[in-house]
Amino acid sequence: MNADIRSLQLLERDLEVVAAHERERLASIDRALDGGPGRPRRLPRRGRGSGHAWGGIAAALVAVLVLAGGIGFLAQGGSDEMQAADGGNAEAGDAVSGGAGGDAGGSESDPQATKAPVAAEALPGVEGPNGALVPNLESDRATYGVADEAARDTAGSPLQSVGTVPEQQGDLTKIIRDGRIGIVIADGSFSKGVAGVTQIARRNGGFVLESSSRDERSGALTLRVPAKRFDDTMLALRALSGQLDGEVEFQDITGQDVTAEFIDLQARLDILKDRRELLLDIQADATSTSEILRLAALIDDVQLQIENIQGRLNFLKDQVAEATIKVEVRERDVQAEDPGSDPENPSLADSFELAVQGFLRIIGAVVIGLGYLIPLGVIGLIGWGVLRLVRRRDRGAS
Amino acid sequence: MPEERTDTELLIASRTEPEAFTELYRRHAEDLLRYFARRTLDPETAAELTAETFAEAFASRATYRDQGVNGVAWLYGIARHRLGRFFRNGKVDAAARRKLGMPERDLPPEDYERIEDLIDFAPIREALAEALETLSPDQREAMRLRVIDGLGYAEVAERLRCTEQSARQRVSRGLRKIALLLQERGMQLTTEVEA
Repeated sequence: MNADIRSLQLLERDLEVVAAHERERLASIDRALDGGPGRPRRLPRRGRGSGHAWGGIAAALVAVLVLAGGIGFLAQGGSDEMQAADGGNAEAGDAVSGGAGGDAGGSESDPQATKAPVAAEALPGVEGPNGALVPNLESDRATYGVADEAARDTAGSPLQSVGTVPEQQGDLTKIIRDGRIGIVIADGSFSKGVAGVTQIARRNGGFVLESSSRDERSGALTLRVPAKRFDDTMLALRALSGQLDGEVEFQDITGQDVTAEFIDLQARLDILKDRRELLLDIQADATSTSEILRLAALIDDVQLQIENIQGRLNFLKDQVAEATIKVEVRERDVQAEDPGSDPENPSLADSFELAVQGFLRIIGAVVIGLGYLIPLGVIGLIGWGVLRLVRRRDRGAS
Repeated sequence: MPEERTDTELLIASRTEPEAFTELYRRHAEDLLRYFARRTLDPETAAELTAETFAEAFASRATYRDQGVNGVAWLYGIARHRLGRFFRNGKVDAAARRKLGMPERDLPPEDYERIEDLIDFAPIREALAEALETLSPDQREAMRLRVIDGLGYAEVAERLRCTEQSARQRVSRGLRKIALLLQERGMQLTTEVEA
C-alpha cells in the first residue's frame, strides 16, 4: 500500500478499530454460547432481518396511529361528548320533549341550545261556549308547575315567568327560540286541526309562514309568532290536540343564545361607524386627487363592513323577535312519515350509516392526533439529528 | 514462514477473525483507490468511495460464499455497485460507515496531489479539454492550471489569488463534474483492466 496517502492510513486505522470491536462482540457471543473462538459458525447479523424490520416498522406505524387516535379522541372532548352526540340523534326521533319549562337543561356540550324532555301527555281541552275550541291553558300551567300569580305578573305571556324563558334574563338577552311539535288527532279532523293551528297563530299575533298537506289527512305548518307569545302558542297547540281527541306525539323546544354575538356585532358596528365618520372628515380636508381616491376606497370598505354587520344584526333581531314553530299534524290512522330509528334495534341501513359515521369519526380523531404528533416528531428528529452531529464531530475529533 | 493466505481465505477467515479483513484491505486499498480515482477523476470522491466500499465489504463479509468467485472480484463487485450509485446520484452514500460507527473524514490536503498522481489523464485528455468548457470560469481556470499545465496547488492558489484549500476544492469539484458529465455521455474514462 502507498504509505504516503494519508487517507488510506486513516481508513486502515478505522477498520482496525472496527475489527477490534467486532472481535469483542464475537468473543462475548462465544462466552455466552460457551463455545470456542475458532468454531466456525454463521455470524449473527448486526441488524434485524428484513422481515423483522418490516414487522417493526408496521408495528411502529400502528402504534403511532393508535396514539394519534387516542390524542385526537381526547382532543375532541372524550367519549362523553361523542356519546352525547349520538344520544342527541337518537333522542330526536322518539323522545317527546320540550315544554315551556325546559329548566332541566339541555345538552351541556352546547351551552347555547336548550332542550328539555317532558313526558308525553295528552292535555284535555275544555268545551267553550258554542262548542268552540278553547285550549285548557290552566291545565297546562298546572302541568308545567306555573303559579297563577306569577303568570299574571308577566304581561302578555303568563308562562314566561317560569324562569327559563328569555324575557326573564333582561333586555340585553337575545335568544332565538324554535319549537317543533307533532300532533296526532282523531280521524276526519285534519281540516279542523289545520284551522285550529292557524287560529292559534293569529290569536297570538303570528301567522302561518308556510304549510303543506298530504291527502288532507296529514300536513305540516310553519308558524312565526312573536317571541313573547312563544310559550302561549306552544301550550295552545298542545291543548288543541286534546280538543281534537288526539295527543302530542313529540315536542322539541330549542333556544339559541346569540347575546354574545349580538353585543359583539353592535360594538363592531359602533366602531365602524365612528371610523366612517373620521374618514369622511379627513376626506373633506383632503386636497390631492390621489388622497381623495384612497380615502374613498377606505370609506367604501368600511361602509361594506357596516352593511354586512347591519344585515346580520337585522337578521338576528328578526329571529329573536319572532319565534318559529313547526307543527306536524296527522290523523291517527296515518302512519308517521319518518318514525325514526330505534336506537336499541337499528335497521340495516341505520347500522351501515352508524358504521360509516363511526369510521369517519375515528379517521377524524387520527387526523387530529397526527396534527399534534407530527410537530412533536419533527422536533424530536431535529434533536436526534443534532445529537448525531455532535457525536460524529466528537468521534471525528478523536 | 507460514504460507500467505489467499484473498478468498482472508475474506472467509474474517468472519471469525475480523483482523484478517485488515490484511485484505492492505493488499487492495491503493488499487481500489486508483480504480475510483480514474473513474471519478476526483480525489475526494475516490477516497470516500474507497472507504464506503471497504466498510460495506466488512459489514457484509458473512454473506460471501466461496463459489469459485475470487474474494477480490467480490470486493470489486461492491465497488462497481457503489460507483454506479455515485454516477446516478452524484454523491457518495455513507450508510455502511455509519452502520459500523466509522467516521466520515475529510480528505487531508496533502492527499489531493497524491491521489491525482494515481489518475492517468492521458487517455481522456482530449475529452477533458472539451468538457472544461462546461465548467464555471473559476473551476475551469483552476483545472487548466492544475491538470493541463501540471502546476502544484500552491502555485495554482497563487495564480488564482485564493487559498490552497480553495484551489483544491475548485479542481476537485471541477473534476467530479466532468466525470459525471462524461459518464452521462457514455464515455469510457479509463482503459484500466479491472481485477
